[in-house]
Amino acid sequence: MADLTQAGAVARPLTRPRKRIRWNRIVDHAVLITGSLFMVFPVFMVLTTISFEDVDIVQKGLQIGLEGRMAENFHDAMFEASGFTKTITGTRMLMNSLILGFGFAIGKIVISMMAAYAIVYFRLRFATFAFWIIFTTLLLPLEVRILPSYEAIQSLGLANTYTGLIVPLIASATGTFFFRQFFRSIPEELVEAARIDGAGPVKFFIDILVPLSRTMIAAIFIIMFVYGWNQYLWPTLITTDEGMFTLVRGIKQIVQVLSQTGAKIPEYGKALALSMIAMIPPVLIVIFFQSWFVKGLTESDK
Amino acid sequence: MKRAGFTTVWLPIALLLPQLMIIAIFFYWPAAWAVQSSFYLQDPFGFGSTFVGVENYTDLLGNVEYGKVARFTLIYTVLVTFFSLALALLLAVKADAVISGAKTYRTLLMWVYAIAPPVAGFIGLMFFDQRNGPLTQMFQAFGWDFRLGADYTSTATAMVVVAVWKQIPVNFIFFLSGLQSIPKSVREAALIDNRSATGRFWDVTFPLLAPTAFFLLIINITYALFDTFGIVDTLVRSEPGNNPVTLVYKVFVDGFRGNDLGGSSAQSVLLMLLVLVLTVFQFRLIERRIHYT
Amino acid sequence: MTFWKIAALNVAVSLSATAAWAETEITLWHAMGGQLGETVNKIAEDFNASQDEYKITPVFKGSYEETLTAGIAAFRAGEQPNIMQVFDAGAATVIGAKGATVPVQDLLTQNGVDFDINNYISGVRYFYADADGKMIGMPFNSSSPIMYYNVDALKKAGVEAPKTWEEFQSVTAPALKDAGYIALAQSHLPWIFTENFMSRHNLPFATNNNGYDGAEGTQILVNTDALKAHFTAMTEWKDQGFFEWYGTGWDDNQKAFDQGDVAIWLGSSGSFGGLMSKDLGFEFSATYLPYWESVTKEPTQTFIGGASLFAMAGHDAAENEATAKFFEYLTSADVQYYWHKETGYVPITEAAYELAKSDGHYDRFPAAEVGIQQLSLPGGENTKGYRMGFYVQIRDVMNREYGRILTGETSVEDAFNAIEKEANDLLARFAKTQG
Repeated sequence: MADLTQAGAVARPLTRPRKRIRWNRIVDHAVLITGSLFMVFPVFMVLTTISFEDVDIVQKGLQIGLEGRMAENFHDAMFEASGFTKTITGTRMLMNSLILGFGFAIGKIVISMMAAYAIVYFRLRFATFAFWIIFTTLLLPLEVRILPSYEAIQSLGLANTYTGLIVPLIASATGTFFFRQFFRSIPEELVEAARIDGAGPVKFFIDILVPLSRTMIAAIFIIMFVYGWNQYLWPTLITTDEGMFTLVRGIKQIVQVLSQTGAKIPEYGKALALSMIAMIPPVLIVIFFQSWFVKGLTESDK
Repeated sequence: MKRAGFTTVWLPIALLLPQLMIIAIFFYWPAAWAVQSSFYLQDPFGFGSTFVGVENYTDLLGNVEYGKVARFTLIYTVLVTFFSLALALLLAVKADAVISGAKTYRTLLMWVYAIAPPVAGFIGLMFFDQRNGPLTQMFQAFGWDFRLGADYTSTATAMVVVAVWKQIPVNFIFFLSGLQSIPKSVREAALIDNRSATGRFWDVTFPLLAPTAFFLLIINITYALFDTFGIVDTLVRSEPGNNPVTLVYKVFVDGFRGNDLGGSSAQSVLLMLLVLVLTVFQFRLIERRIHYT
Repeated sequence: MTFWKIAALNVAVSLSATAAWAETEITLWHAMGGQLGETVNKIAEDFNASQDEYKITPVFKGSYEETLTAGIAAFRAGEQPNIMQVFDAGAATVIGAKGATVPVQDLLTQNGVDFDINNYISGVRYFYADADGKMIGMPFNSSSPIMYYNVDALKKAGVEAPKTWEEFQSVTAPALKDAGYIALAQSHLPWIFTENFMSRHNLPFATNNNGYDGAEGTQILVNTDALKAHFTAMTEWKDQGFFEWYGTGWDDNQKAFDQGDVAIWLGSSGSFGGLMSKDLGFEFSATYLPYWESVTKEPTQTFIGGASLFAMAGHDAAENEATAKFFEYLTSADVQYYWHKETGYVPITEAAYELAKSDGHYDRFPAAEVGIQQLSLPGGENTKGYRMGFYVQIRDVMNREYGRILTGETSVEDAFNAIEKEANDLLARFAKTQG
């Protein structure tokens, strides 16, 4: 599969009637600009609205323009403490989200690489069986089995811990599949050569397979990070300690408070600023590591 | 598996153990629990329970409302899948055709992938607000009395729009990468054979994209069925009322809001069967392609 | 999977070992967001500061439904909080599960706190009590649906706040329409126009003594002429432009009143604090919920809404004592008056009500007294409360069908048939869970 980063370099046929090309070009660009606006404009409008007073947002809704509240709303969203223990701040939630994102991505990669390695490179009688056991987990999304999962976490005493937050999310096969596919695409001669050189399975894994998988690891890391960061149903249930809230969970709470009985003037500015903060890290990662991200997403397509 | 492998026994077991343990505790046990409790009616606190056989299932299948939810889920899935695929395909074809600005377009069209569903839902809430949402006002200017939360069709429309918005990037990336993997020689040959760009697209490009499209079809169906949960929940503000909801959302509402564990579990089991069918279909039709998550 | 149990035990042992020297810590899970949550936090802080033996930590758990579910899930796993806030619709689930909670009446008397149910105002005494009248849950944030109105709008239209729905449809609404207002909106159809429709008119809401006598065989009684006539009238009002419905969301309906489009809004007495703090562009006041003169000439009191606090079972004596002490603090006249003043929820004891009166609170804000006065109106055999299982789902069914009536998707007749059937199915299912 061609690498997307080379898109601009794909050669175009040179001979076409001039007039046609112009019109086609204009249509192409018009479609792309419309599409880009469709994707970008909603978030842009949210951003400009953050600069307005809460009263204005309540009465007039989303706004375009620049007023003076931007810095203040972002500051409040980041640093204003709320909750009984005064531990819920944007910074704290940002940290928790980062821990969830990194913890989930790293945990998933480590565990699924190990499992995939065992399945692909060992003569194991039950390898196929193990594969199917792992594979079946694709059948049941977390939303559907959330209550018993919660009971399991509680019985283990893991509620309100990062372990309890992260580990159950790892219980699905996607990562294992990914690495299984990738390992199987690596030439078999490599193992043979390693064995002839006297390398054991551990040495082969660490010295050869892991370095070979570097790009793959980076690619899947990005996808898993975004997936972990964006979780919200599970964190909502499992974190009762205010200090454990993640950004996405915090936003759910804010949306709820906005529509609660007898609330004061709802703090829309702060809420919108917080939702902006919640999207910045994953968006930046996707934009800056675009080629890895695209690779990670499409690689299993082989 | 023909691969020449190592023969050590303890190592692969040790390597598999963490994954298998996590799956046993957080997947098989909960799944078994769901199957078991779908045959019981249980007191939420766990004090009493009555074995009712398949009554939870017959209640469900005899319930007109469950049928309506299933029908909406089907329509919703078709609409979300169709629009997000069609729009993404159009954009990918155009992004593949232009030279200047290609990179910028690509970035602008894919970054929404990273936005969390509840955040997308929140933005949707603002845009479709009953009093002052910009899109509400636009619809009203066209004479449609659009009311999120009060009117079934309005809420359904908002759900589809937000879900499509959130899903275009994934489809776009796959289509674009599919287009770019079409060999140069094929493109040039097509150019000679077929003068019209539209004809070229349907005769040559589209068939070459078909595997990607099939694969995306499954991904999008799964997305519409399960991953839009956060969008639905935010847009109905956790109060379904007379608004449309999807099957997964109903599992959540009955089990989580209503504490009807038996009924909710029976719905879970039905969904499991649905996913099973989809997965078998996916594996037979398009081997060795996987959806992450 | 016994190894979990062992692991859990280890964790529990190590936890209790470290906590032994500190003050007794208890937790409260609640659903009070925003300003209400801040008030709860303030009360908890003051309680903690008032003594040094006990320490309470309130945790906001989301909506009422989410709080209940989180509490149930935690109870099943043996990790329940000491106190859980449960809303009116969840009462049957919690009270039905004997052994999940310690009846508040027992808890208080066992821990040396004076308890006399007659100290509580009449409207709140029995809603969270069992069939024998023993108080199970501590009525905490008690509210009732009342009628708020835009004083300026009514003046402009030259009308008074209506006492009956007959007066509303023949006099008030047409005048308000001429003055350029939508006459009426409301924020919770099942609560205001079903549950409290029953209590206001002293109509039975369910068989088995409104469900108090047990889940077995309890059937809902909504498919009645009085209620159907009310909803038929509502659709007519809507067609005439007297009434508007903005969806199931509470706030969408209240906003129309806040913004001055709607002149009369039926909301919660607990909305008072919020309305006061909002700086509306008009003067507002409140009065009793109207009734149909054609149904009754002697309207009765309404049910309390809002929620109550349940002491969860499974905690040691020291923690239960702390819970009892917190309840004692919470029901003291000063704290209740503070809560009432800040939020608009009614004071639950006679003493707190007296304090509010003597302090001149109602001279300053006459509308603040409406909720408690309405709860203190004469009662009837059907006004003590109701107890139906899976009631959260029954409410969802009502919301769905009412929404369909008001968007013209279904007829009043079909909707009530559907509600009756689905609700009775759910009640029968619930009865089986109790078996």
